[in-house]
Amino acid sequence: MKILIAIKQAIALDEDFEIRADGRDIEEDFFLPDLNEWDEYSLEEAMLIKERHADTPVEVVCVTIAPDSADEALRKCLAKGADRAIRVWDESMEGSDPVAIARALAAVAKKEAPDLFFAGVQSSDHAHGATGIAVAGFLGWAHSAVVARLDYTPGAKEVALKRELEGGLSQELRLPCPAVLTIQLGINKPRYASLRGMKLAAAKPIETLAPGDIGLATNDCGESGSLARVRRMYVPEKQRAQILAGDVAAQAKALAAIIREATGS
Amino acid sequence: MSLDGGMMDPHAFTRILFQDFPSWEVSFFYLVGFAAIGSFIYGVYREVRKYLRGVPDARVIWDYAHIKQGIVAIATHRTLVRRDPYAGMAHRAIFYGFGVLFMGTSIITLEYDITSKLFGIHYWYGDFYLWFKLAMNIAGVSLVGGLIYMMVRRGWIKPPKLDYARPDRAPDAPDYDRSNYRIEDWLFLWILVIIGVSGFVLSGARMIWLADRPEVWDIRWWSPVGAFFAYGLRALGLDAEGAVILRQLIWWSHGALALTLISLIPYTKAKHIFTAIISLVVRDPLPAQRLPKVPEGQEQIGYRFLTDMSWKQLLHLDACTKCGRCHEACPARTTGGPLSPRDVILSLRELANSALQYSAVPEQSKLAMHGTGVGQVSSETLWACRTCMACVEICPVAVEHVPIIVQMRRALVEEGDMDPLLQKTLQTIHKSGNSFGESRRKRGGWAKGLPFPVKDARKEPVDVLWFVGDYASFDPRNQKVSQAFARLMHAAGIDFGILYDGESNAGNDIRRVGEEGLYEHLAESNISAMQSADFNRVVTTDPHSFNTIKNEYPDFGGQFEIEHYTSFVMKLIEEGRLTVKKQLGHRVTFHDPCHLGRFNKGYDAPRKLLEAIGCELVEMKRCKDNSFCCGAGGGRIWVPDPVGTEKPAQNRMREAASIEGLEVYVVSCPKDLTMFEDALKTTGYEGKFVVRELLEMLEEALEINLVEAEVTA
Amino acid sequence: MSSILVIAEHRRGELRPVSLELVAAANELRAAGEQVVVGLIGKNAHAFVAAVSKEGVDEIATVTAPVEDFDPDVSEEAVRALIAQYSPSLVLIPHSVDSYGYVAVLAAKDQLGLATDVYKIAREEGGWVATRGGYGQKVAVELDFPGRSCVCLAVRSGSYKPNEAAASPTVTAVDVPALQARSTPLDYIEVSAGGDVDITTVPFIMSVGRGLGDEANLPRFKELAEQVGATLCCSRPIADSGWLPKSRQVGQSGKTASACKLYIAMGISGAIQHLAGMKHVETIIAVNTDPQASIFNVAKYGIVGDIFEVADALEQEFS
Repeated sequence: MKILIAIKQAIALDEDFEIRADGRDIEEDFFLPDLNEWDEYSLEEAMLIKERHADTPVEVVCVTIAPDSADEALRKCLAKGADRAIRVWDESMEGSDPVAIARALAAVAKKEAPDLFFAGVQSSDHAHGATGIAVAGFLGWAHSAVVARLDYTPGAKEVALKRELEGGLSQELRLPCPAVLTIQLGINKPRYASLRGMKLAAAKPIETLAPGDIGLATNDCGESGSLARVRRMYVPEKQRAQILAGDVAAQAKALAAIIREATGS
Repeated sequence: MSLDGGMMDPHAFTRILFQDFPSWEVSFFYLVGFAAIGSFIYGVYREVRKYLRGVPDARVIWDYAHIKQGIVAIATHRTLVRRDPYAGMAHRAIFYGFGVLFMGTSIITLEYDITSKLFGIHYWYGDFYLWFKLAMNIAGVSLVGGLIYMMVRRGWIKPPKLDYARPDRAPDAPDYDRSNYRIEDWLFLWILVIIGVSGFVLSGARMIWLADRPEVWDIRWWSPVGAFFAYGLRALGLDAEGAVILRQLIWWSHGALALTLISLIPYTKAKHIFTAIISLVVRDPLPAQRLPKVPEGQEQIGYRFLTDMSWKQLLHLDACTKCGRCHEACPARTTGGPLSPRDVILSLRELANSALQYSAVPEQSKLAMHGTGVGQVSSETLWACRTCMACVEICPVAVEHVPIIVQMRRALVEEGDMDPLLQKTLQTIHKSGNSFGESRRKRGGWAKGLPFPVKDARKEPVDVLWFVGDYASFDPRNQKVSQAFARLMHAAGIDFGILYDGESNAGNDIRRVGEEGLYEHLAESNISAMQSADFNRVVTTDPHSFNTIKNEYPDFGGQFEIEHYTSFVMKLIEEGRLTVKKQLGHRVTFHDPCHLGRFNKGYDAPRKLLEAIGCELVEMKRCKDNSFCCGAGGGRIWVPDPVGTEKPAQNRMREAASIEGLEVYVVSCPKDLTMFEDALKTTGYEGKFVVRELLEMLEEALEINLVEAEVTA
Repeated sequence: MSSILVIAEHRRGELRPVSLELVAAANELRAAGEQVVVGLIGKNAHAFVAAVSKEGVDEIATVTAPVEDFDPDVSEEAVRALIAQYSPSLVLIPHSVDSYGYVAVLAAKDQLGLATDVYKIAREEGGWVATRGGYGQKVAVELDFPGRSCVCLAVRSGSYKPNEAAASPTVTAVDVPALQARSTPLDYIEVSAGGDVDITTVPFIMSVGRGLGDEANLPRFKELAEQVGATLCCSRPIADSGWLPKSRQVGQSGKTASACKLYIAMGISGAIQHLAGMKHVETIIAVNTDPQASIFNVAKYGIVGDIFEVADALEQEFS
């Protein structure tokens, strides 16, 4: 059996970042990329299925729709035990929104024909929470978002899972396979990828594909394949907290005063 | 007394071996003797086979200098008298006593069985015989005396370090107190004592038996202890006839015990006679300072199975005599951590003896070093280590614990078996190049608070490249120290610069955590940044960075001349480029940072500096090579200590507080400043004395008056 | 006639309050003559008619679903039918775990404009403009939807003030025959108070986050909370690590600090999901080493510093 996992090199911003000249993104110099936190969990979940069912061969394949700067994220996945890594990109994909990305992911899924498709619930940078689920739209598969527990035996026709809802509530349900699941934080404890493991993973090939290789037309990609377009990015005016001054002792004194006033003690 | 050679034939003065023995008894003795030697040879073969199941050790160098230092260490017992002089001296007495007696026996055997029989050459008579007797007597006294002290020590003095109860096992664990070792210890002592004493009794009995022969009786005082025993036995009523029987009895027990001992050497702790000598000869001069590099092309790293260890390390396991010096010195053990370096060694030894001593090497599962079974080392134990090197430093037989522990940690890191916080820190360091998770761009931020610009060594040539390090760059308290050092160098007219965001964490502690891949990444990145800059030498305030740049970067192609600020500033003062203007007059104590002191023997410069600025230095009991780790080493600064137990730094604060009238606890390491300022607060000594960085005291004494500027970073 | 469609959300027989926030948003955004239609999807959709009959709603469209619980396929199909019926230029859907499950599928299949977690909506000449956070909420991102005649926006709760005034809109039953669920719901699991406190009812909360670092540090804060009279709660990472029970987690997937008047956030950076559970609190004090942390955007008072040092000093204040 096979599990296909969508991963993303998510971007944190360095301090004192600057807006790009066209005002539609941040200067790349200030990007601090790393594998999306949610993806660590979805990869781990796939690895657990693979390891718990050693009798059935399970292939774990990671895919990302990104330029080669994302290879490091793929290597991290390979270091953690993913069997293969695929990256799809060309310039026409610049400006893709979650749905354009999902279209490409779905095209890879059609080619790879996995039994399960995992994605993180959202990415730590833009938090759309849309990409993974939109893949289900293009594939027409059953799907469930925000999965906090998963029971699956390779080869089974159904998957049992727990969907984490708001306010401490969750719901258990079953879905037919193949299915698209977006995986929530806390579902497992992701393993560590040592730097050595990543270096060794550098020797493993990353299959690189262009949109054409997976049957996508130019207008399926980038802005023309997207449902939304970034018009502008800016730093919003924020109401900031009043910062308590002084050394720790003074701050604690002020804090104590606030507590006493609020609690009336 | 001297031999009156004119009266008698000197050939008469000798001892007739097997005198009056029936031939079957002689033959029987030879049979037993050959059996003992056979047992010994087989045992040695078995041990050597065990060691050779380890991998080759590229770091062992068989050259004159190494062999010489090993022999000198053994001959002088230098490593044994440290921190336990009486035990060391007693061991020296046993060593030389045993050695001389062994040589004596060999000399007799040589004459009796070889030179006389093959070549008709005799030498064991006359003057040589008499001096020989005297020497044997002295050696016997030395041996027995040493052994008796050791018995008193084990039986009555009972130093805590000889308690084998383990900090890494629960009292109900089968291998909790290693009580079987105690039996062996006593057996070994008793066998040796009985061999020694029975030798004297034998000598005395022979004198009584042959008292009528002048060639025996007249020279009795050449064997003073034997003669003393002869008088004693005679006073107890022993006559010549009785002496014949006693002599026969003792002769056999003495001989049997001696041969038993020989046959048992490779099977018991007695093997340390050989293993310790080899261990000392093959010792690594930089065991913890320069950790092993992973050979090119090797995929698996770290130690998982016994056979991953080198032959030398397998031999180290057998060199350990459980003396407990490492157990006593270990900061983790001292503060209740689940680690005693001795137990790590003994556990692995037990594992090796159960797995590698047979004709075939068992399946891998029986060789697994990690775990909680008998002979295995748990991950809690491995993570408790601060890699402070106190154990390696004090081991009298050159066991190198730290590289074994780090190698085992490398395997743990690969498997992700570590504290989640440590895991997070390693990821942070990989991402941002520093353990604070701060932006790289802010690395040089502290320099903005200075009234003069600090050169960017990447952009213009400098004389001195300052490798700042993580703590000195990002920790707000340490940033003040960094600014002080910058002002000091500026005042001395030093042309210096830093690498700004070209610098990353030096990697010293990451390597000691066992994240070798990350270390390689950091070292390579720093080396390439340094190599692209134009400078003559490197200075740092951070002993951790100092150690790895000095000792480990060369393995990665980075040869730099580096100094710690203590010796650097001392030279500036000696050269007159800086002048002490104010005598501070404080009563201080100095904490030797592990990586400056024990690791790199930088004991003197900080002390000279303290003297130069007029401070009265009162040493703590644990100082210099016995300095007590602050607890931050080996990556432990990133892992919180368990709640409710004393931290090493707190333990150290109590030690310092016992110094009457102490004003300043002086440190010279950024991590020490952090650890001890914290510990000062939590131990309640705040207000009694202060923790200060030597650099700040220097600045005060040198009266460097540059406009103070706040850190704006 | 053009319209704005609002999809109301309910769970276990209760209307989720965010639905009324979206009604208010639609009412605010409507152009003259534009209808606001509220879509109700459920096995017993009519049961919620009264709850959404608020001022500004012109019409309520009910779709009868074959299943009681939320199912993504049913919701997708139902909303598709409502769009076909009312041709709205804008569809407002709560940004919730339920909508996570189908909005993107619907938009992807039908090529509708899409943005999620939107907190500001504007209507400009070129069409709708949605604003959401980007790069961990450090920036605001304005999106537009060129060429899309219908735009679906999943709106963050708390972005609009609900309109409570009652009204009597028309109610229309929309018949959608093809509705079929693929998921088989089994059961709901509630993180019960389980003998522990119910944090939705306590007035004073001290909450710890990632800055805590290690479980070993927890007892210190337990003691401190007790000392100052607060209930100790946490953000998601702490509950995920199992250091505190899930019932003490404040945030979207945890509990809302509904009755809280004073909230001290220790070492919490302020992920949007956490803020959802506490940003309404009147007095929030945040302690964090990162001056840029978004928790300071909702806090009234802030201390930029080490939580352990502050905890020690605070302990002294109260001892």
